[in-house]
Amino acid sequence: MKTITRSLAAGIVGVALASTPALATHKTHPVTGEVLSDNQTYTYVSIDESSSLDPGLIEDVSGAAVARDLFEGLLTQNADGTLAPGVATRYTTNADKTVYTFHLRRNARWSNGDPVTAHDFEFAWKRAVSPELASPYSWYMEIMSIKNGAAVINGEKDKDELGAKALDDYTFQVTLEASLPYFPSMVVHTTTMPVPTKIVNAFGDEWTKPGNMVSNGAYVLSEHVLNERQSRVRNDLYWNNDATILDKVTTVIIQDENAAFNRYIAGEVDQTAPPSGQFNALKKSMPNDVHTNPRLCTYYYNFNMDAAPFDDKRVRQALSYTIPRDIIIDNILQGGQIPAYTFTPGATANFTVPEVAFGMMTQAERDAAAVKLLAEAGYSKSNPLKATILYNTSEGHKNIAIATSQMWKQKLGVEITLENQEWKTFLATKGAGDFEIARAGWCGDYNEASTFLDLVNSESGYNDSNYNNPVVDKLLAEAKTMSDPNGNYTQIEKIIADDMPIAPIYHYTGNMLLKPYVKGYPFNNVEGNWYSRNMYITAH
Amino acid sequence: MLNFIIRRLGLAIPSLLILIIISFVLMHSAPGGPFTSEKPLPPIVLANIEAKYGLDKPLPIQIANYVWGIVTDFDFGPSFRYKDRTVNDIIEVGFPVTIKYGFWSFLFAVTVGVFLGVVAALRHNTWADYTAVGIAIGGSVLPNFVMAPLLVLLFTVKLGWLPGGGWEGGQIQFLILPVIALSTSYLAGIARITRSSMLEVLHSNFIRTAKAKGLPSSYIIWRHALKPAMLPMLSYLGPAFVGMVTGSMIIDQYFSTGGIGLHFVNGALNRDYSTIMGITILVGTLTIVFNMLVDIMYAWIDPKIRY
Repeated sequence: MKTITRSLAAGIVGVALASTPALATHKTHPVTGEVLSDNQTYTYVSIDESSSLDPGLIEDVSGAAVARDLFEGLLTQNADGTLAPGVATRYTTNADKTVYTFHLRRNARWSNGDPVTAHDFEFAWKRAVSPELASPYSWYMEIMSIKNGAAVINGEKDKDELGAKALDDYTFQVTLEASLPYFPSMVVHTTTMPVPTKIVNAFGDEWTKPGNMVSNGAYVLSEHVLNERQSRVRNDLYWNNDATILDKVTTVIIQDENAAFNRYIAGEVDQTAPPSGQFNALKKSMPNDVHTNPRLCTYYYNFNMDAAPFDDKRVRQALSYTIPRDIIIDNILQGGQIPAYTFTPGATANFTVPEVAFGMMTQAERDAAAVKLLAEAGYSKSNPLKATILYNTSEGHKNIAIATSQMWKQKLGVEITLENQEWKTFLATKGAGDFEIARAGWCGDYNEASTFLDLVNSESGYNDSNYNNPVVDKLLAEAKTMSDPNGNYTQIEKIIADDMPIAPIYHYTGNMLLKPYVKGYPFNNVEGNWYSRNMYITAH
Repeated sequence: MLNFIIRRLGLAIPSLLILIIISFVLMHSAPGGPFTSEKPLPPIVLANIEAKYGLDKPLPIQIANYVWGIVTDFDFGPSFRYKDRTVNDIIEVGFPVTIKYGFWSFLFAVTVGVFLGVVAALRHNTWADYTAVGIAIGGSVLPNFVMAPLLVLLFTVKLGWLPGGGWEGGQIQFLILPVIALSTSYLAGIARITRSSMLEVLHSNFIRTAKAKGLPSSYIIWRHALKPAMLPMLSYLGPAFVGMVTGSMIIDQYFSTGGIGLHFVNGALNRDYSTIMGITILVGTLTIVFNMLVDIMYAWIDPKIRY
């Protein structure tokens, strides 16, 4: 009924417009009052096709961006990244914060008209941890500390024993193994989004194809041609559809950054990344299009601490001190990146970057200290340190490795061999611990320092340096249940700035070109999460 | 002739089987696997995934299961990368795209290439010859990864006539630039081969005889010269046709056409074993079939050839 009256109204407006073309009444934005374009479509570039659009299986950034439009979890985010009610309007917890009860809104619907119930969440969560789905992101449910999560993933317990339960159609209860202060911010993630039980059971693996897929977010999938495009259109049954302005959003897959740039210039797409090396020039030639904002990502080198010479702290310190961070950022990357002396980026929520000793020195002081440290470790120009930097094949990584090794040679007399490997080969080599120094990058999975610092836990599967410090492990374990763990994080950063299992190099920035008529893009969201429902196109 | 076709088809099956086994072994011997990622999976999750896709079984069993699936159900298996797609899905969507731009590229390359070659041969050592040779050389030294950006720069960015990429079901405006970019180097090859073989034919005795009989020159070219001049080109056209209809990584990557050329390369980089296998078998089969067709056409064009 609602849709009928709406199209009727649109028809009347259309007639009125046709008869009085001079008085064309353009819509305006309800809050800002800006005149909106008649064509509310947004087309953006993704460099890669996502491996899946199934919330339970999504593992890449591009797929997650689509899923945030198609699905809505218990909670969601405002444009600036702060938490906002999603399908759940509110939640309550018990005294020790181990049981969370989410109260779901009654007007949330799937795009086929079925109500979104707590049972859909229970089904989705159990599905995400089940060995049958074998989701590459099931570990996310494990770090959420959901009761029995790890045991279900390991196949030790049945998925029905997971601590996620629908008490009734509109009440969803989660039981945790231990209190986790930042738990609410974790239920924004795609892995925790609901899936339509009926549809998944009916279509199996093929439920995410256009035509089959039913979703509960602001948009529904209308088209998906692998490696070409994915389109989504407004979901008329979304509970807050009246606030949505963009009618259609399209992802086009363009693997070549220069091809994408040409299509941006030609006006075929509204957003893309600046081609490498052109950021500074574009900042001058198209200042209204270029945007840069900090991201929750760190670029660093791993030292293999299992074998000499990198089992010696002084060697690791000397090398980390002399990495030419400013030269790398100003002359190679040229994208406003931030030099890194800690692992966790300063943009992380509730994290204050501690003043670690080597970050406070000038480069000259660091160089002098490094020479001394390396001499103490027994290396000199006559007995030079020799090592290999391993990185995955890419111009960018190569340039950084060249700059670094040149500086090491010049300042310390270190002789470096560069070794590049194709991506999967690189991962296999690094995973096997068959390296001396290896390039790495890490992006936070959620906006909290533990998403970085968990990597230096001796138990972590991502601890490529094989760093093992019981003090750090203890501080990390304590931090899990503290209401304000910042003090522990600061202490850990200070310890690793001294032990130097890794050499942080820079914190990433997100650089992009966005047409000036696209408004509402959340540049302040450090996780890079954006929602089409908050965006709009102004008349241009 | 029938015997020949049956014999060739009989040979095709063991050839494909060998192709499958070699590809399978090579693929699995490359370091890393489909589920190796920057954020390594916990061993138990990895084990679950490998069990799901049958990767936990010994290699010979995997190969046998794979071949059995193809023979019984024509099932090339699920993609290891795109979780909601089978390899059949990927080929079903991607192959029509590459066939479309590949076929038009082929037609364009052959028509223009033969025309240039014939003109150059007939007007040997004149400006027409030099122009045609110039175009042919230009085409061969401009590979498609240079052509593609140049075309987009001119027709999309400067003139605004054509879209710089996309497919949208293969409408004509999305087809033109990929076709030009893909066909130029083939066109150049065809023009050069046509020119030299045409020159050779035009100097042969039977053409001199035809001229002496006073036949009109257009009749001589169409009726007598063109057919034998095409002979050397045929062996070039078979693989060229397969090369074009199985797509080009460069075209798919630069123009985002969604064809199987890109899937093939991405499949290798992602270690998407089943996708690599599916496309390898497709390309292998096409190569075998078209080489056979070329052999049959040889016999048709040259009466001296007998099988």
